[in-house]
Amino acid sequence: MLATIRNWFILLMTLLLSACITEESFENTPEGNFEALWKIIDEHYCFLDYKNQEYGLDWNQIHTSFKQRITANMNSKELFDVLSEMLNELRDGHVNLVSKDRVSQYRRWYDSYPRNFSDSIQSVYLGKDYYTASGLKYCILEDNIAYIYCGSFEYSLGSGNLDQILQALAPCNGLILDVRNNGGGVLTTADKLAGRFTNERLLVGYISYKEGPEHQHFSKPQPIYLEPSTSNVRWQKKTVVLTNRRSYSATNDFVNKMRYLPNVTIVGDKTGGGSGLPFTSELPNGWSVRFSASPIYDVDMQHLEFGINPDVKVDITSEDYNRNVDTIIETARDIIQSSL
Amino acid sequence: MKRYLWVILSLWMSVSFIQAQTDGLPTNKFHVRSTLYGVGYTNILDTYLSPVEYKGTEIRLLRENMRMTHLMDGNVSSQSMFQLYFSLTKNRANTGNEWGGMVNGTQAWHYQWRFGNLKLMAGPMIDLNLGFLYNTRNSNNPAQAIANLNIDASGMAVYHFSIKNHPMIARYQLNIPVAGVMFSPDYGQSYYEIFELEHSNHNVLFTSLHNRPTFRQLLTLDIPVRSSCIRIGYLCDIQQSNVNYIKSHQWSHTLMLGFVKTLFPVKEKDRMISSSPYNPF
Repeated sequence: MLATIRNWFILLMTLLLSACITEESFENTPEGNFEALWKIIDEHYCFLDYKNQEYGLDWNQIHTSFKQRITANMNSKELFDVLSEMLNELRDGHVNLVSKDRVSQYRRWYDSYPRNFSDSIQSVYLGKDYYTASGLKYCILEDNIAYIYCGSFEYSLGSGNLDQILQALAPCNGLILDVRNNGGGVLTTADKLAGRFTNERLLVGYISYKEGPEHQHFSKPQPIYLEPSTSNVRWQKKTVVLTNRRSYSATNDFVNKMRYLPNVTIVGDKTGGGSGLPFTSELPNGWSVRFSASPIYDVDMQHLEFGINPDVKVDITSEDYNRNVDTIIETARDIIQSSL
Repeated sequence: MKRYLWVILSLWMSVSFIQAQTDGLPTNKFHVRSTLYGVGYTNILDTYLSPVEYKGTEIRLLRENMRMTHLMDGNVSSQSMFQLYFSLTKNRANTGNEWGGMVNGTQAWHYQWRFGNLKLMAGPMIDLNLGFLYNTRNSNNPAQAIANLNIDASGMAVYHFSIKNHPMIARYQLNIPVAGVMFSPDYGQSYYEIFELEHSNHNVLFTSLHNRPTFRQLLTLDIPVRSSCIRIGYLCDIQQSNVNYIKSHQWSHTLMLGFVKTLFPVKEKDRMISSSPYNPF
């Protein structure tokens, strides 16, 4: 009896101790950190196949070409430069490498385009007596058109605040909702604002995620619906949403939701994109890496990663810049006036 | 003189137990309860949060209650354990932290075989774990929820011995989950999608030794000190899983220290070291 128990025990412990679950680890060397970063992106980044189709991104080829630049005696700064450059091949504003003293950023998604926003010109429209609540700046323009500037979705919008703002603006003929230079934030905050502009549940896109490390290993896309706000205070009049290239990430998602609403027009420049929900991982040397992990599509299952075209494409003209006139706001005013 | 006192005490205890049996006192009223506090080392990996192992300190509370039952002619003991533990760990570059917390509750029923001073016990155990891991610098994957319910195979060996007439009890216990269910997000699935959009897929999974090779080992020694009993122990808690391409482990090694209490309707606390049928331990 005792011998049998002992034998079973030894067998069981041998099996269990041989079944340690671990992850492949890399040395904290330039090569180890390079391989770790390449693998993280290879297994987790969600746009490798899409970007291969769009502009020929070949992640295996990138491994080959960048590995040649990794040397055992390169210092930390040099390694950061090479790894940042490798990540910039992804052309994704959601991809960052973070060390103690630096953050890599891909900036061409807005640097190569017109700014289309000036806070000094905006201050002309806001005047001196504008109101602020929940991070939103709002006022009533001279032609009885409401103007709300939402510069970030980082912080939660209070339901009571939104009620008060929309009630205060209710007598206006229409609303300009300006999300230019809004780099995003929390998706649920953007949803909360968008929910004030619909009275019914509306299909606005799909989302999927990676189910495994292979490039094409994605879940079946699931529908995303815009739910009307539970508050009874919802905007029913004409709305124009202003966008520029720096309308990014959660703001890109917000614009996607708003563009399916019948009473909404998108005016300005193409949004910056950033439709991948970012995750974070890390390298053996402790540097943090952020990357897109979960793609969001529009209702036609098209990627939104590179931005959303406006209904009316407008840039601020240089003449208007000089005159302190915001061409995009003026276009929005015309659209609202002509809808009356 | 002391030796005589021990002999007299032992005889008196034996007689008392026989009397208790003949008096019809229920054996399941004799409880052995312990509360242990521990500090130890833990090594944590959860590839949903990071591919890097985090190592650090863990503090743990363990409460245990054992008693005999009427099952199978009174040869089955019941053991319930409650554990609460927290960990603070760092990556090897010392640039990131992970906080962890876990509640574990188990209920086991052990059949007991007695071989003189040695008891061997084996039986099923219900094993529930609820907890979290929080990485302080992640974006949309900042935390991992831990929830699993298992049927374990549990075995225990209890040995009563004396050193210089001081009765002691050594115990070794091993619990191995053989089947269960656990919660896990899918490989690249965010909690936003699970809870906000309510898209659940592959989130509740069947587990067994092939994808959750996990075990807990507990080694304790009970030492009577005057009228109380001190328990010192070593807990080896190996929690692992490999589901949805997410690998995780929490390897903890904890030194435990605390007290044992016996509860019985009559004032005969010295019986706690006894190996009589009343004592489940």
